[in-house]
Amino acid sequence: MSYGRGGYRRRHRDDYDDRRRESYETPEQKLRTAIIKLGEVDAVEELPRLQKQIQEHVPLNVANISEAFRIAVTEQPYKIPYYAALIRLLHEPSEAAQDSHGPSIGRLVLEDFWKGFQAYLDKLAWRETRLCIQLFAHLTVAHIVSPDSMLSLLQSFTAVLDEFGVSHGRAKRAALCAAEGLMISGPSLKPHSGTGVTDVINAIQAFNDTATTSKWLVRPMIRVYSEAVTIENGDELLDTVLYALKTLNDSDFSQTTDSFPQPYTNLPELDISTISHFDLPSVLVPPEVIELEGLSTETEEEAQVKKEEWPEYYLRLFDNEISPDPNTPAGYAVRTALLDTIAIFEVNRKECARLLLEYPKWNLPGAFKPKPGAPSDVEPAPGKDWQLESTLIETILGALLILPESSHKSIYYMSLITELCKLSPSTVGPAVGKSIRKLYSFLSEGLDVEGARRFAEWFAVHMSNFGFQWVWKEWVPDLALAVQHPRRTFIRRAVELEIRLSYHDRILKTLPEPMQSPDALTISEQAPGPDFEYDDPTNPHHDAAQSVLNLLRGRAKAEDVISHLDTLKTTLETSEEGHLNVDAIVRSIAVQSLLHIGSRSFSHLLNAIERYLPLLRNIASDGATGAGLNLEARAGILTAAASFWKNNRQMVGIVFDKLMQYQIVDPSDVVGWTFVNGSGIGQPRELVGPLSLNAFEWDLMRGALDKANGRVMIAKRKVAALRKEEDDTRAQAKARANEDTMEVDADTKQEEAPVDNPAMTTAIKALNSLTREQKAALSRTLEGFVSCLAASATDLNPNPHSRMVITEQAWHDRANWGNDEWNAWETWGWYRQFCRAYSPYLRTYATTLYTVSFARFEGSTDPAAELLKKIWNVAIGQDTS
Amino acid sequence: MAHVVTPLDQPSNYKDSQTRVDRQKQTELLAKSTTLYIGNLSFYTTEEQIYELFSKCASPEDGGGIKRIIMGLDRNTRTPCGFCFVEYYTHAEALASMRYVSGTKLDERIIRCDLDLGYKEGRQFGRGKSGGQVRDEHRQDYDPGRGGWGAQAQRMEVERRREVEERYADAQEGPGAVAGGGEEWKEVPGAVLETKKRARSPEEEAESARTAQRTRLEEEVEAERM
Repeated sequence: MSYGRGGYRRRHRDDYDDRRRESYETPEQKLRTAIIKLGEVDAVEELPRLQKQIQEHVPLNVANISEAFRIAVTEQPYKIPYYAALIRLLHEPSEAAQDSHGPSIGRLVLEDFWKGFQAYLDKLAWRETRLCIQLFAHLTVAHIVSPDSMLSLLQSFTAVLDEFGVSHGRAKRAALCAAEGLMISGPSLKPHSGTGVTDVINAIQAFNDTATTSKWLVRPMIRVYSEAVTIENGDELLDTVLYALKTLNDSDFSQTTDSFPQPYTNLPELDISTISHFDLPSVLVPPEVIELEGLSTETEEEAQVKKEEWPEYYLRLFDNEISPDPNTPAGYAVRTALLDTIAIFEVNRKECARLLLEYPKWNLPGAFKPKPGAPSDVEPAPGKDWQLESTLIETILGALLILPESSHKSIYYMSLITELCKLSPSTVGPAVGKSIRKLYSFLSEGLDVEGARRFAEWFAVHMSNFGFQWVWKEWVPDLALAVQHPRRTFIRRAVELEIRLSYHDRILKTLPEPMQSPDALTISEQAPGPDFEYDDPTNPHHDAAQSVLNLLRGRAKAEDVISHLDTLKTTLETSEEGHLNVDAIVRSIAVQSLLHIGSRSFSHLLNAIERYLPLLRNIASDGATGAGLNLEARAGILTAAASFWKNNRQMVGIVFDKLMQYQIVDPSDVVGWTFVNGSGIGQPRELVGPLSLNAFEWDLMRGALDKANGRVMIAKRKVAALRKEEDDTRAQAKARANEDTMEVDADTKQEEAPVDNPAMTTAIKALNSLTREQKAALSRTLEGFVSCLAASATDLNPNPHSRMVITEQAWHDRANWGNDEWNAWETWGWYRQFCRAYSPYLRTYATTLYTVSFARFEGSTDPAAELLKKIWNVAIGQDTS
Repeated sequence: MAHVVTPLDQPSNYKDSQTRVDRQKQTELLAKSTTLYIGNLSFYTTEEQIYELFSKCASPEDGGGIKRIIMGLDRNTRTPCGFCFVEYYTHAEALASMRYVSGTKLDERIIRCDLDLGYKEGRQFGRGKSGGQVRDEHRQDYDPGRGGWGAQAQRMEVERRREVEERYADAQEGPGAVAGGGEEWKEVPGAVLETKKRARSPEEEAESARTAQRTRLEEEVEAERM
């Protein structure tokens, strides 16, 4: 048989082809590579050589060279000053073409580069735009670009800040373009137009002043009682920009030299007689494009899922002597360079880690301490001499802990830190350890609950990559704190997440003895297995459950199981005392038995659910043949599942997710269930207290909300795709019609366009159902929070402390808080996260949701109601205070 | 957006020796793939551990999530043999795993991810002569997480081993042996009558028509090869 051989031969040939494709480089490509790779060894020394190579390359291909510059500048921002120097060098006439009077290569490249910049701007590729502006700014100082045109360019970006109803995200990005351009070009702009410079700064300041209320909602250290937006352990991005700019302006930008490399300043003066300034053409920043537009459902207006609408706070973990203060020009320069590197190299975290560790090479000499053991002939720069690794970890963790969400998935930042540790364990490891300790100390200072959640997640993932080696011993004294104190919830959560990535015995062995003890409430005694409550022969329903289990094990048909359950109900009704809820018991037996046969693995669970979907649907509708709207039955399914997996909260989340996926329950069922039952699941009995939300319940709720929102997203895309298809078909039909009957009036043919499209009808109907469900899930969440935090006397099991923990006095007295106080505080934290993370969705239904949940507080002076409304209004963007 | 470095989310040069699609078709399929092959797993790593790590690349708010995990089993012993497939709902999630998870540790082993053409019946079993993965046929080192030299195992893992060995004893072969994981949301027809077969929605009809068509296509391709 030639099967195997044939396959082998083909694979062999393919590999050969691939190799050949990769290895062949045209001279043009070679030149591009040479430009992009500038500075592999020493940029300053390589510059004249590269200048010569470009000038001597024949034939001159300006587009090719400027393409290389565009890639180089937008993907290697740390090299921008050197590319500015190269363009400056290329303005000198080449030796070969000394007698030619045409424009220099530098000028031609710059003109072509500008077209690329214009294209980035048209696409609103903000980062690329900003990095090109950095290049222009350097070129202004290098006397290539005219200061006048540079200032107008910056003003085009500050003009965005004055647009009516400009979003925070757009304004922030435009402000960064103007600010970074000014920081670098300031030395040339200030002498040219002092008022122009001040105007740019004032415009950014004026915008930043309008962002105060939104800052309050995303500051990483919670102070609910306070309006203050400055924090001790971190800085907001635009605040740092303004501090740095003002410092620069106060000293007439003399500090620019100290903050950004300027390799072009040492070059010999250009011959002014032959070279005129390049005037940057004037630009207009185009308006934002709205995605997925024009889809009208019959409900309220469309949700536009816009992200990054918030101010950005970065936590500081080290002192200014260890890592740079981003409020200084030099510190800001480091911060922005590192953040850009982290963002650009997201596609390859290993390269990213390598480049980050190489970063000092691109900053000024003496900015960072030399590598331990490396010979150093450079004097530490005064006020600098920072630790590279601490700076890197602080910046990465800062980006990870941005609220309401980081710009990349959390796992990216975690894996990036892992790569850094792998490249240089002896220097990065200690920085990671210190960062963990610092973040841990923030836990009792009000570290935001979402920040704390991500911290625990990072901790577990990091430990999973490094042998679970953590010195837990140093936290043993904290076992004296209240069980729900943020430090103890962090320890428990970190241990739980470690177990999920590993296994119980493995993690148990890493803990010191005082934490191993069951009394320490740190780790469960047993591995987190299932708990089939009818397993116990003394359980009154043991036999009934065994009969169901046997049917399921024997792969009985779903309808046979259903009829058996009916028989069971009848038997129970006649034999038991009347007050028992027979439906609930049989439901619980059936669900737990099903989960039992699916308890071996995730796949077993899926198999069990799929095999018995009709059974689950029957249970969910409680035998009713109506629309299947039986809330009690569905809550009962969730209760049975949560009870079965009470020792393994990961499985609770997985089962809920798949019950939603298979449409046994809806997201709004999960939300509703979580508020009523959640806080009791998988907690030691000591912790079952008044209604509150912890990280686990938040995860369940988030899973439900994301499911609801994700479904709407899919449905919208489907409608959009069908609409496009329809339009295309119609256009084609019209074109054909016009071709066929040139002489006939085209209008008469238009009726042939498809009027009725069943696929479209289905898709629109689905979108409407899902939009309703989305609204229901959001509404139930808001309702849940309101009844938790501003409970009326009639609400079930209210937390008595929800009004107390939001006062300043109470916060300062937190050393005396018990579990209920901390629970109430944490619930407030999740409410904040709910409002700010889901604000794009909430905004769509703002009016309805507000009326449903807040109308009752009209005229009320209840401080809890006031705060609920305030947080809501800030998130929705209706706060004008 | 990456001229300066090679992104980590590129598929490897692996070509499934048993697939019938050509290289170009394979590239097209991989460009949309939602499935990952995960290699170098410990034999003791559970689906839940895999779920925990890979859910960090999921984007449920974008209609994604982990659809299913298919554990690779030794053909003869029906025990995990060190690989699995993770199937997401979206391609972007698979790419995220390539970028952020491949090359990191799970259960203290560095795991490797590769974009995959998608699970096909029978692929859950090892293809090595002894029933496991081919690579374990030729391995000459001692690897406690992959069965040591032979049947040796570290003391600490004995208990895990016992559980694992029994876990998949019921693994089935043939069509329908592996669960789907739940499809996209569909309008549920009004009444749910347990005795009657649930009416099919138009989308399901369309789906099954497509499936039938795909099967036919594959048969044709198969016939061509013969």
